[in-house]
Amino acid sequence: MRPRRAGGPWTALATPGVAWLVAMFLVPLYAVACIAFGRIDPIFRDAVPQWNPLGWRFEEAGAVLASITTGPLRAVALRTVAYVVVAMILSLALGFPIAYYLARHAGRWRLALLALIVVPYWVNYLMRMMAWYNLLSPSGLGARLLRLVGLEHNWMDGSSVAVVLGLVYGYVPFIILPLYATLERLDWRLVEAARDLGAGPRAAFRLVTLPLARAGTAAACVLIALPMFGDYYTNDLLSRSPRTEMLGNQIDFYLNASSQPQRGAVLVLLLSLLLLVGLSSYLRSTERTARERRR
Amino acid sequence: MERHRAGHPRKQAPFLGGDQFVEARHARYGSTVRRRDFLRRAAVTGTGLAIAPSVLAACGGDSGDGDGSLSIGTPDAPVTLPTVGEAIADGLSPESGTLELLNWADYANPESLAAFEAALGVKVNVTIYDNEEAALLKLRNGTFAPDVIMGMTDTALARLVAAELLQPLNKGYIPNFSNVIVGLQNPYYDLGAQYTVPYVIYGNGIVYRTDVIDRSRFTDGDGLGAMWDATYAGRLAVLDSYRDTISMALIRDGITDVNTGDEAVLRAAGDSLRALREATNPKVDILSYQELPAGNRDIAFTWAGDALSMPGYLPEGVDPNVIGFWWPPTTVTANDFMCIPRTSSKPVLAHAFINFFSDRDEALRNASFVGYQPALQGISIDDYRAATGIPESVLDALVTPERYESGLRMYSLEPAVDALWNDVWAGFTAG
Repeated sequence: MRPRRAGGPWTALATPGVAWLVAMFLVPLYAVACIAFGRIDPIFRDAVPQWNPLGWRFEEAGAVLASITTGPLRAVALRTVAYVVVAMILSLALGFPIAYYLARHAGRWRLALLALIVVPYWVNYLMRMMAWYNLLSPSGLGARLLRLVGLEHNWMDGSSVAVVLGLVYGYVPFIILPLYATLERLDWRLVEAARDLGAGPRAAFRLVTLPLARAGTAAACVLIALPMFGDYYTNDLLSRSPRTEMLGNQIDFYLNASSQPQRGAVLVLLLSLLLLVGLSSYLRSTERTARERRR
Repeated sequence: MERHRAGHPRKQAPFLGGDQFVEARHARYGSTVRRRDFLRRAAVTGTGLAIAPSVLAACGGDSGDGDGSLSIGTPDAPVTLPTVGEAIADGLSPESGTLELLNWADYANPESLAAFEAALGVKVNVTIYDNEEAALLKLRNGTFAPDVIMGMTDTALARLVAAELLQPLNKGYIPNFSNVIVGLQNPYYDLGAQYTVPYVIYGNGIVYRTDVIDRSRFTDGDGLGAMWDATYAGRLAVLDSYRDTISMALIRDGITDVNTGDEAVLRAAGDSLRALREATNPKVDILSYQELPAGNRDIAFTWAGDALSMPGYLPEGVDPNVIGFWWPPTTVTANDFMCIPRTSSKPVLAHAFINFFSDRDEALRNASFVGYQPALQGISIDDYRAATGIPESVLDALVTPERYESGLRMYSLEPAVDALWNDVWAGFTAG
C-alpha cells in the first residue's frame, strides 16, 4: 500500500518548523551573504551589508576562492578537513564501544555512567581546554608528573596532535549520546536471530549491528563534524601556532581583526555550503533507508 | 593587563586565580580600514591624512555620523582635530553616583579606583572592551554610554571624533595635565590635546628567560635575529598583532617605515615571517606576559609594558631577575590615552577621574598593578622601581623620553595599504 500523502491541515503543522528555519537559518545566512558581497565602511571599518543582491560585489569572494585553491588558505582548508576527519574517526573509535557498552551491558549502572560522561561537559568548553593547557604546558602539574616517570615532552609545542586530541576530547560526548540513543533502540532480536542462524559475535556485529546503526552513526558524525569545522578555540587555546591554524581561526581573524571582514563572511558561506552538502547527503541516505524499510 | 599597541593591539586579562585557569582574551585591532580599492583619493594634507566622509559616502560607505573629515595625524603631519561641541563650563561640581569606565581588562589598578571612589565619594563601574572596533560600534549605536574611556589609541581617535563621539576637554578641571610628558602635551594625533590626555607609554622589544638565554645573544649583532633562531623552536612567541609583528620583520630587514605601503617591501617582510614560522613554530598570541614567567616560553617579541609586569606573574620563590628584556636599537614606541565621550552623563566627574590618574603618585600606584609606564614627566627610574618593584633585569624595558622620541610610530593606514598588511599577515598565520 502506498503511504498516504500528508496534506491540508497536517501540512500546516510544519509551519512553526518552517518559520523557525527561515528566521534562524535562512535570514542569518542571507545576512552573511550580504556582508560577504557588501562593502566596508571606510571610516569605521566595519562591514556594510549590501541587502540588495543586485548590488553585490564578488571581488573578495574571488580573492578567497583563489586563496583556497592556490594561496595560503589552501593549506588551512586541507588541514581543517584532515583534522576534522581524524578527530571524527578517533571520536567514533572511542565513542562507539562506550555507547555499545551503555546500551547493551551497563544494566542498572547505565544512568550513572551516562551522568558520569555528561557531567564534565557541563563545564564550559573553554575552561576544559584551559584546564588541559594548564595541566600539560611545560610548567603544568600533569607535565611535571609525567616528567617524573621519564616522559619528557613539550605537549603544548603547537603540534597537530594537541589540536586533534583537543577536538576529540571536546566533542566526544556529542558522538556518544546519539550513538547510545541509536543502539539503545536497536532491535536486538535481530542480532540474536543472526546468532541463532550461526553467526559468530563478530559476524553478527559486522553484519547486523553495524548496518542497523549506520544511520545513527552517520548522524552522530555529522553532529560533531559541524561544530568541528567551525572550531577555532581549540587551536587558539592548545596550540596558538600558525602551523595548526584552522578555517575557524581564519574566519575569526578576518571578521574580528582584519580590514577584510567580507572574506570572513565568504569563508562562513563556503563552510556552510560544504556542510549543507554533507548534511543533505546524510538526509538523502536516511530517507532512502526509511523507504527501504517501508517496503 | 593591557597589551595593545598602535594599530592592532590585543590585550588580555591574566589568568584569574592562582592556578591560572581563567583566560580572557581581548583583541584590540585598531586601524583596520578595509577596502583595498577605496580611498585612493585620500589626501595627505599639511595637517595630516584627511579623509572626507562625503567622498567616502560616494564610494558606498556609511560614514555619515559626522560632518567633519577623518583626520589622522602623523609625526610628520600633526593634526588639529575638528572641534565638535563645546567643553563643559568652568566652576562646576563633580556629579555624584556611579562613573562608568570603559577600559581594557586589568588596565587600571583596583586600588587606584578604590582611592578615587573614596576621594570623590562615588562608585566606579568598569566595563571591559576587547577591541577598539567593538567599542566604537557600541559607542556609535548608543548601546553603551561610558563617562570615561581608557586605553584608546590614535588609530581610533580620528573615527571617534568624526562620529562626534567625544567631547572636548576643559583642562581647567585637569590641572595634573601639566604632569604629562612635555612632548605629549601637544601630541601629533591631537594637537592641543583637545580630546585626549595621555595614559601610558610603551615600546616593542624582546623579553627572554635569563636562565636560558644570555643577553649577549641580543647585544652581539643581529639581536632581532634571535626571533628566527631555531634553537628556541616551540618555546618562542610573537605578538598576535599584525602591525607589531610585521613591523618587527620590517625593522630586521632594515626598513624603518613601519607604515609602508610598498608591496614589494611588505612581501619581503611576509617571506621573512614565513621563515620565522618554519624555523621556530612560534606561538602567535599575547600571552607571553604569563607564559614566560610560568616557564612555558623562553623568548617572545612583545610590548615592553608586558615585560615590566612579568615579574609579578612569576611563581613564588623564583628570582625576578629571571625575566630579561632587550630594547632593540630601532623599534616602535607609542602611547594611549584617556578621553570623555560626548554622551557622558557625569562629565565633571569624568574630568576629575582623568585628573586623578594624571597625578604622579596615583599613576605610580596604578603602574604597580598595570606595569605600563605612566605618560608623565618627573617620574624617575628610581621612583618607578620603588613603586613597582621591578628587577634590574627588565630595566631595559623602560621607555625613556629619548627612546620615546626616537621610536618609530605606527599610525592608521590607508585602506589599500592596510589590506596589503592583512594579506601578509594571513600568509604568515595560515601556516
